[in-house]
Amino acid sequence: MSLFNKNTKQVSENTVRKVKNRSKSKGKSNFYLSRKNAWLLWLCQCLNLAVIAVELTTWMLAIIALSLAWQALLLHQGRDTDNILSKNKTVTGHTHRKNSHHGLTQSKCQKKPQTSNVSPIVLGIFALLGCVAIVITAKQVGILVSMLHLLCFSYALKGFELRARSDFYQLVLLGLFVLAASLIFRQDLAFSSITFVLLVLNLAVLLQFFSFEKAFFTNIKGVVVLLGQSALLAIVLFLVFPRLSPFWQVPLAKSAETGLSDTVKPGDIAKLTRSTKLAFRADFGQQQVPNYSQLYWRAIVLEKYDGRQWSRQRKLTKNKTTASAKSFSFDNRATGVSPLTYQVIVEPSFQKYLFALAPAVVTGDNHGIQVQGDYTFNSAKIINQAKSYRLTSYLSAPLTLELTAQSRQLNLSYPQESNPRLEQLALQLQHNYVDVEARAQAVLNIINRHNYSYTLQPPLLENNSLDQFFFDTQAGFCVHYASVFTFVMRASGIPARMVTGYLGGEYNSVKSAGQLANKGHLSIYQYDAHAWSEIWVQGKGWLRVDPTSAVDPQRVNSGWSTQLLQEQSELNNDLLSLYRMKNIAWLNVLRLQFDALDYQWTRWVIGFTTKQQYDLFKHWFGKMVSWKLALIIAVALVMSMTMLMLFLQRLNRSKIKPKLLAQWQIIYQKAIVKLAKQGMEKSPSMTVNDFAKQVREQCPELAIVFTRLSASYNRLCYQMLSTNEQEKLTLTMQQQYQQFVQVLKISDKNFS
Amino acid sequence: MWLGKYSTVLMYLIPLVIKSVRRFFQKHFERWLVSRIPSQQEHQLNSRNIMIYPTRFGLAYLGFVVLVFLLGTNYQNNIILLLSYLLASLFISVMLHSFYNFSQLRFYSMAKQQGYAEELLYFVIKIITEKKHYDINVHFSDKTLNNQVVKLALCPQGSYELRLVYKSLQRGKYWLGRVTVYSEYSLGLFKSKSILDFGHYAIIYPKAKSLITGQYQLLAQADESSIDNYQSTNYIGTDDFLELKSFVRGESKARTAWKQLAKGQGHYSKHYQASQSQLQWLKLSEMPSNDVEIQLAYLSFLIGELTASNQSFGLELFPDMRNESMNIPPNSGFQHQQACLTALALY
Repeated sequence: MSLFNKNTKQVSENTVRKVKNRSKSKGKSNFYLSRKNAWLLWLCQCLNLAVIAVELTTWMLAIIALSLAWQALLLHQGRDTDNILSKNKTVTGHTHRKNSHHGLTQSKCQKKPQTSNVSPIVLGIFALLGCVAIVITAKQVGILVSMLHLLCFSYALKGFELRARSDFYQLVLLGLFVLAASLIFRQDLAFSSITFVLLVLNLAVLLQFFSFEKAFFTNIKGVVVLLGQSALLAIVLFLVFPRLSPFWQVPLAKSAETGLSDTVKPGDIAKLTRSTKLAFRADFGQQQVPNYSQLYWRAIVLEKYDGRQWSRQRKLTKNKTTASAKSFSFDNRATGVSPLTYQVIVEPSFQKYLFALAPAVVTGDNHGIQVQGDYTFNSAKIINQAKSYRLTSYLSAPLTLELTAQSRQLNLSYPQESNPRLEQLALQLQHNYVDVEARAQAVLNIINRHNYSYTLQPPLLENNSLDQFFFDTQAGFCVHYASVFTFVMRASGIPARMVTGYLGGEYNSVKSAGQLANKGHLSIYQYDAHAWSEIWVQGKGWLRVDPTSAVDPQRVNSGWSTQLLQEQSELNNDLLSLYRMKNIAWLNVLRLQFDALDYQWTRWVIGFTTKQQYDLFKHWFGKMVSWKLALIIAVALVMSMTMLMLFLQRLNRSKIKPKLLAQWQIIYQKAIVKLAKQGMEKSPSMTVNDFAKQVREQCPELAIVFTRLSASYNRLCYQMLSTNEQEKLTLTMQQQYQQFVQVLKISDKNFS
Repeated sequence: MWLGKYSTVLMYLIPLVIKSVRRFFQKHFERWLVSRIPSQQEHQLNSRNIMIYPTRFGLAYLGFVVLVFLLGTNYQNNIILLLSYLLASLFISVMLHSFYNFSQLRFYSMAKQQGYAEELLYFVIKIITEKKHYDINVHFSDKTLNNQVVKLALCPQGSYELRLVYKSLQRGKYWLGRVTVYSEYSLGLFKSKSILDFGHYAIIYPKAKSLITGQYQLLAQADESSIDNYQSTNYIGTDDFLELKSFVRGESKARTAWKQLAKGQGHYSKHYQASQSQLQWLKLSEMPSNDVEIQLAYLSFLIGELTASNQSFGLELFPDMRNESMNIPPNSGFQHQQACLTALALY
């Protein structure tokens, strides 16, 4: 009985909100959000906008921040008036509870401070001004970004006019759309996870609206469960649902290009090396990863030099490129150098160049990849999302044995009198060393023997003068050395060119138990950017010469020296934290694990192409037919639904499970069963006392014992007793029961 | 020229067609509903009687998912596509969750409620649950009743009672039709709904209108301040036994002459001096007004007064005393009052 009392108490505490259902137009006004929910919604807005903030311009961010702050202020004011209300009423306790207690009155009072503070005219003017600003700047920032501005602006403003439930819904959907839009710009695992977390948060706010009795955390759990249950179908859809080609042209993100650029001046790459961003990954599968010193990832060949900077020669005709590619593929068969096949997955760089270990040919799908004559590869389109391709490299094979006159001329040209001192040095060397390779070695020797230093912070050069660097400052980064070397080579009559790309990479092996070969991948970050030279030697083709090896051999053989690392971390806090992380073993393991995960994510989710989908489908289900597709989706739908239903049914059933009967209840039930055997059945409608009376009348010899038993039972059921007393009484009841059984036996005997 | 003619004809025809089609569907829906959810005092929600369909927000959400899908396709962005698939399958999960949140609720309600006109009547609906349910809304299906939606944010495990309010300005018997129970729990994408029939009806008594002194000859001796006196004089006499009369149905059992009954002499009831002397027949025809409604209102008032003072009275709505259904023999007590008022309501 006490149990029931508790229940009813709970019930009385429980809230009943009566919402007046007036005419339709007025019916809207009964919408209100609980205080907690309003704040959560606001928080969600902030977070959603924070995710996409990087893409927005500063003035838009300022506007959004202003309106969000204003909303926060309004919410805060709403609470103040709430407090006043609660003081006036004083009857029931807490503010946050009150919302639910006096539903109708509360909603009326609370709503006013929320909405009436911002007049629609002010809002309208504000919105109009914002739109005008967006239109004006549209040309400047690009269509996509201005659309994004519009989306975010409306999302921020919508928060002001939460008058009806549909407004709330709109706000939630807008928020989800902001999240979806943010995925246009970044898709890596970390960012996707953040977006997913925010998705959960947004949906939890929506769920909170329908069950504000629950704690927010419980609602988050609820949403996670919901999404988990939806995951199966989503994955099947992802795997088999046909990828469609774009329906219409969409404005592309005009994000800042990252990584290397088409032109290089001394000092450029040093800046790039401050970035910890991932450039690309390479997966060698089961093969042995080449030595560090062989991992020269070729990206751009720079053949033009104007005295200040190196730039790309763009005159190569298409015919030539295909011809050279063909000739190369023919060559490798003849030479019989062991091939190395690997997959490269490029992060979005918003540029076109791809990376390869020269010389290489594209294996497999070469769609959208252009082969250049200088052993570099280009993507047909700007890389705005992760792109993967397979290459086969023949590391020890020579590059282009014959050099066209045009190319030779290009690779020998340099502006006369741009660096007179170097030219003089070159002439001297030309005189001293007839052999081309010896001449190159001589330059390296000079660099090696003299007091040259390798530094990320080279002193500034006037007009990018190489003379100044080589003879005066004598401190520089890879581009300095490569520039000087190439210049000297050209000046001394050897065709030479500058190549930029990346050197090395971090090997991340996931050692899974039971697998003999360690599988892993190479992650190449922006700070691995590098520049080196190539000289053309008769009979040997283009030879790679890295002048950096002369000044800092460690950089070329195993990576950055500690001194460089120190310099680097002083320049950038990201790097500092990265190196600290690398020094702590478990953190580093964690970092590598995450990197491996991110790699798999990039490979299987971001890089899941139509072709892969087709192959997968073929592998599993044979030929791709539309009815099969429909069948699979239907089966997945049914399966996920049945699974869900089973789960929910179980959930329902587990709640039904009866509570354990107390000891005394069991005893009484036993007694009743015994009596039923004697022919005295207790109908469910009968009270305990009535039944005792019946027993008294029907078999008087049982009267005393059973009445005692019943009395104890009644006391235990309906009296408020301490646990101690309960135990005692249960014991007495046990004894009474035994007496009852004895008496029953005796009476049985008497009968028979 | 005759295009115009046609158009005018069409203008008349189209609404007519729409109306008739709607009526046709409504009729069929009603019929289907009657066979599907018959009138009962108790309903348990299950797949038989739950209707589940997407709300407007649900449809908007679907549109939104398509939009995200387009975004993903146009940008050839797998993550956005994955998001759209996830949101699409969430739609289905939410449907099932919505259904399971709504099912297994049990509702009990008494069919009849009675009360005075212009007073609030409460139809109590008892909900018995075996787990927690969220966002349960209850209202009368009939929108013209202009009633409130009772919203239950959380329906706790166990039993819970909620009250539907009904108010009528006129006396009579009103069938209130079905009760709509719905929930938009989970994310508001789906509306789980059931239209339960408890056979609710309300008996509305005429609103009591107090009689001004002297307007009714029965109360001739009672002046303004003396309704109390008048009552007290009657009280005195209640103990003076007068005679035994054979029991009339509807009379209070308290007056049964148990001795005689026990001896097997028949069922008599005792009648007392005072009440006998003023045995009152409240007669419709004697009410001081020409308007029947006002007369009934007076009667309603008198019945209340007399019951409050525990007096015995009979109600005569028809001059013909033999019409037993409309004329109620003298008695007193709550039951009697209810019977009399019901008779007024149905008059």
